[in-house]
Amino acid sequence: MRHTLAILLGAKLRPFTIMVGAIIVLALIDRGTGYFFSVGTAFSVFQLFATLGLVALGLGLSMMVREFDLSVAGMMGLAGCIAVMTGVENPWLGLVCGVVAGVVSGGLQGLIMTRLRISSVGVTLGGLLTLQGMTYVLTGNRTINYPNLPVSLTLSKPIEGLLSLRSAAALAVFVFIALVMAFTRIGRDVAATGGDRRASMIAGVNTDRVLVGVFMASGAFSALGGVLLSYSLGAASPAGLADVLAPAAAAAIIGGVSLLGGRGHPLGIAAGVLTLCILRSGFNAIGVPPPVHEVVTGAILLVIAIVDAPDLVRELTRWRLRRAERRAKHEAAQP
Amino acid sequence: MSNISTLIWPGFADTTRRRVVLVIRLGGLLGLAGWAFSTPGIISLPSFFALLNAISFIGCVAVGMTFITLTGNIMSLALGATLSGAALVFLATLTLGVIPAFILAILFGIIITALQGAVIGWLKANPILVSIAALALLLGTAQIVTSGQSVYPAAPGSEIFKTRIAGIPISALFFFVTVAIGQLILSYTRYGLAMIMIGSNPRAAEAAGFRTARIIMVAYMLAGAFSAVSGVLLSARYGSGDMELGAGYDYNAIGAVLVGGTSIEGGSGSVIRTLIGVTIIALVEVVLILRGFSDQMQYLITGLIVLAVILLHALGEGR
Repeated sequence: MRHTLAILLGAKLRPFTIMVGAIIVLALIDRGTGYFFSVGTAFSVFQLFATLGLVALGLGLSMMVREFDLSVAGMMGLAGCIAVMTGVENPWLGLVCGVVAGVVSGGLQGLIMTRLRISSVGVTLGGLLTLQGMTYVLTGNRTINYPNLPVSLTLSKPIEGLLSLRSAAALAVFVFIALVMAFTRIGRDVAATGGDRRASMIAGVNTDRVLVGVFMASGAFSALGGVLLSYSLGAASPAGLADVLAPAAAAAIIGGVSLLGGRGHPLGIAAGVLTLCILRSGFNAIGVPPPVHEVVTGAILLVIAIVDAPDLVRELTRWRLRRAERRAKHEAAQP
Repeated sequence: MSNISTLIWPGFADTTRRRVVLVIRLGGLLGLAGWAFSTPGIISLPSFFALLNAISFIGCVAVGMTFITLTGNIMSLALGATLSGAALVFLATLTLGVIPAFILAILFGIIITALQGAVIGWLKANPILVSIAALALLLGTAQIVTSGQSVYPAAPGSEIFKTRIAGIPISALFFFVTVAIGQLILSYTRYGLAMIMIGSNPRAAEAAGFRTARIIMVAYMLAGAFSAVSGVLLSARYGSGDMELGAGYDYNAIGAVLVGGTSIEGGSGSVIRTLIGVTIIALVEVVLILRGFSDQMQYLITGLIVLAVILLHALGEGR
């Protein structure tokens, strides 16, 4: 029993255990009224997944190599605006422009980091502020409408009731990256760089190139997420997308990505994102007010932070020893 | 730390590269100053007060953030929410009188960040993760308590934080006091020196017998207290408060800390540097307004300046 629990809560399976746990808890609250277990809820879960998932994937990849790409939030907004402005006639052109912007911005930031040996937080913070500024300038601080209605409708139309074209695209990206990570040398190099950068460098991995590549991918994914979101909403606005960073980081961490690097898997990130989406849509479906969702997410994150803390065991042991010592003294004092 | 020149310009020119960077930095500062003072209307009193006001709200949070960055904990994403929460506490408890409400708000800020500091200090939990968790918990709880409504002053009296003494806005005075207290703690107390030590080498600090966990918790408590001050000032200025009040302040604050030259890796920096960082950003914003740039261009140029200064500092460190 204890052994099974250890496996289920171990690094590999924990994201999936948490996800199943969330489903079970919601099902228990729902008690067969059918609000939670419905196609509608599942559809909205995957719609949310499409919005949050790609940003979380980008951020999660950067966290896997022990960096932190704050700029994903800014990139998502900028790419959405670029796509809406360039893709009126031809949506593919807008898509390409947006994603190229993501690749360029990620590549530039990656180059700055590796050439100057600066930590990613500083560079991507500057990147975030700059990208946000560019979005404001491009849009003139207004909401830009996307007049190509057929594209918006096609992207959000349910396929088989569960998925839309948008969420299917997001899922496909996840599967593709999972395959790359599992079966190619690139995947191995990324994992190695995250695990121990110096050792991988000595073993012949070009870690600088890996870092630049990861940041390009991170930029591209968040850009793609932004483009798809703006297309399906039929609008892009400079504000409102900044709140995406905290949930994306939360999803990646619930998904088993460690901020200490070297740990994490694209499918785990997918499970993390799904957990957040299931909680949000599920709570909506059974009529729990949105703030409760926020509190539950925060509590889950706090628990993970504490469980993953490197000194937790040490502090617990120290506390137990102290208690035992006190008891021994107490017993010795009594005749 | 005592030498004023190393305080302001880290790594005071000892290699060619550093000298070049120093020249660029000085040139940049002089250029900025020249650009600023050639702007019509910059020396007039109204724009001076606009500058002071722009400084003080973000400044208090940035001073708080400095302690978190210095101890090697990068940044907190929850200071903006702490600010908003403290503002709500202040407005709701005004019935007890202005000063008790002020104290309660500060206490609220301290407690919120002390809890985070405890988890981070004793268990070495990841600071960014803990701050995101705290952010979600704060936002959710506040929405439940206020049912998503704005909070208005429960009693009059908050206007006192809007007045001026000898023409200087009270908020600016509060900010300067905050900077003074912050720098005094950092330079002249055991805790301040220990914070810098922990930031530059946590294991050495522990081996040297510092109670690192307690010191990190104190750093977080200071951050909470200073953010709460900003919350009180902001809520008095707007006459109402909600959780949107401090949204985005975390990023602006860490931007100011980094522009001032405090190292993102911890262990090197000061509150005075943060004051310089805040001033530079605010000065640029005021000049942009006076020169008639749109809001949008201000966002972009501020972002670019943060990026440029961070690059410059990295080059100056000469690693």
